[in-house]
Amino acid sequence: MGSLKSLSLGAMLMLTCASFAQADAIKLEGGKETNLVLLPKFLGILVFDQANEGAQEAHKELANPGELLFVGPTPENSVAGQIEIMTTSATQGQGAVMLSNNAGDQIVPAAEAAKAAGTKIVTWDSPIPSGNGEDVFVAQVDFGSIGTVMADMAHSILGGKGEMAVLSATPDAANQNAWIASMQEALKGAKYADIKLVDVVYGDDQAEVSYNRALSLVDQHPNLGLIMSPTTVGIQASAKAMQDEGLCDKVKVSGLGLPSEMVSYTMNGCAPEFALWDFRDLGYLTYFTAYGMATGQLKGEIGESFHAGRMGDYTIEADPGREGAKRILMGPFTVYNKGNVEAAAK
Amino acid sequence: MTRMMEKLSPQTLRILALLAVLLVILLFFSLVIPNYLNGRLFNRISSSVAIMALIATAQTLVIITRNIDLSIGSILGFVAFATGSLVTNNPDLGPVPLVLYSITIGACFGAINGVLVAFVRVPSIIVTLGTMALFRSVLVEYSDAKSITTSNLPQWLVEFPNTVLFSIGQMQFRAAFVAAVIVVLIVHLALTRLNAARKLYAIGSNPEAAEMAGINIHKTVFVAFVLSGALAGLGGFMFLARFGTITVVAGLGFELKSVAASVVGGVNIFGGSGTVIGALIGAILVDVIETSLVRWQLVSEFWREAVLGALILLSVAADAVLMRRFISLRRKRPKSDPIPEKTSVLDGEAR
Repeated sequence: MGSLKSLSLGAMLMLTCASFAQADAIKLEGGKETNLVLLPKFLGILVFDQANEGAQEAHKELANPGELLFVGPTPENSVAGQIEIMTTSATQGQGAVMLSNNAGDQIVPAAEAAKAAGTKIVTWDSPIPSGNGEDVFVAQVDFGSIGTVMADMAHSILGGKGEMAVLSATPDAANQNAWIASMQEALKGAKYADIKLVDVVYGDDQAEVSYNRALSLVDQHPNLGLIMSPTTVGIQASAKAMQDEGLCDKVKVSGLGLPSEMVSYTMNGCAPEFALWDFRDLGYLTYFTAYGMATGQLKGEIGESFHAGRMGDYTIEADPGREGAKRILMGPFTVYNKGNVEAAAK
Repeated sequence: MTRMMEKLSPQTLRILALLAVLLVILLFFSLVIPNYLNGRLFNRISSSVAIMALIATAQTLVIITRNIDLSIGSILGFVAFATGSLVTNNPDLGPVPLVLYSITIGACFGAINGVLVAFVRVPSIIVTLGTMALFRSVLVEYSDAKSITTSNLPQWLVEFPNTVLFSIGQMQFRAAFVAAVIVVLIVHLALTRLNAARKLYAIGSNPEAAEMAGINIHKTVFVAFVLSGALAGLGGFMFLARFGTITVVAGLGFELKSVAASVVGGVNIFGGSGTVIGALIGAILVDVIETSLVRWQLVSEFWREAVLGALILLSVAADAVLMRRFISLRRKRPKSDPIPEKTSVLDGEAR
């Protein structure tokens, strides 16, 4: 019930924001010089590269004479590397750092120091859990609605009845835990009464660990009908594991995945439905936010609206998931199935 | 050592001790996890151990020479990606060129380590710590944030690891596992039968003496690193075949797993002794513990790593105690069936 209330509250908030936005959305003035840093969790992952493409697009569109740097740590050095880049950016006097946080609250001291030095901190994809040291979070989708979307996919795949388990990334990933919690909340609804969540395991966002975890789930729960994996690595490793062991007829896979990686599993029925948002759009919107803040055109206050190029108007609002923190909500989801996955995979 | 030699060499005893520990662990988990001991468990473990067996073997070759190779995971990741990208662009390539390609790239990376350790004389832990990051960064650069996906790989490659060659009851012997065991056996035979391979042990147990005995230490250590790289490359090929989707995190952390498997398997971290068969059993042991812990509901996610570490320590300790017990038992036994001294000397030192 709580989720329904907060959902409808969120919807109302969005509506009021939308009406606000039409009234006085700030049109960002291009051509002002500011150096910006886009800092992903680590380099070499497709979705972060897509976010960079989106940011570069916005960078050109706003004709910023300054630099947009896409820098990130290597995978084995993610946490320490992020903190280091954050610190360096502050000493270099960058206008803003756009951060997909992988360092939990460990990044807070570095982010606060950067803020004190005049660098704006705009998070995207994964926020700073406590909200300290962060100016605003560009949320890909409403974290509460992810739970509902996952619960609905489970409902349609299981035909309304059966056992499911969650395969997540790491046990301390802030966004993953928020999504799982919101799905558990959504599952309390009467519609999902016959769906049972039997287990939550973690695959560390590594193919081999996730693959083995998925198989352990099947061994552990003989009546399992669905593995829900809200991570692009986990979902494809699970689908591969089910396919390799010839289990696709019995155990389906769903969650958040990339169409290009999931297309074969969706077409052969192992993963009939999954969802994701557009990372190019996320990068684009994040750039507009960071540019506006770094050039002083946006103050980062609740209720402030601005025009983000081709994507339309957005408003800064209180983050319902993190007390005292602010967010900009991008949304919506795309749910992929046999009908649209092939087109999206290209 | 020679006096203790009787029917079994210490290395054989060590393997028996390891198998005993493995048995105890399996029995323990079968008591706490419902539906545990069955053919499925064998299939799970054997499939996932295939890759680890190769890199544990690679690591063992290097550790025997009193060195360590921390770049194994990065080499494996790079080779998996490079091979995947080669076959994506040339789907008609057969197994032989692909495997050769994997092994060659791995060997080249191994040669870089080898030159720096053997000829420039930088300690291996520093060299490979550096190349671990370096090779991973090369992968990040080379991959251009793209990933290899299963749908672009030829069917034979994707099907290879899970092809059932033969089965005993519910237990399936799949191609990847059988191939890995064959490789381990070949390396084992080489290490025990070839003179050239025994140089690895000689260097590890006493470098100065080895040098005085006329062994070219530099060349031998170099070769050990090249072989380790080649085996890691082969592991990369298997990784590609098994998981299909390769990103820049492929093989992350494998270097430490390979060290764990080797050490659990009785390979002396200070060099000079150890067998690849032991490393294989070590890999199986670590994998069994890891897989079973996930299914043991009592242990929460946050404690799993700690319990895994504790269990690994416990098995190493149990193995050491058992080993000592075996040896002292044998000492007490009267020399009822002596074995010619010569063979046992050879056995003891070669293994």
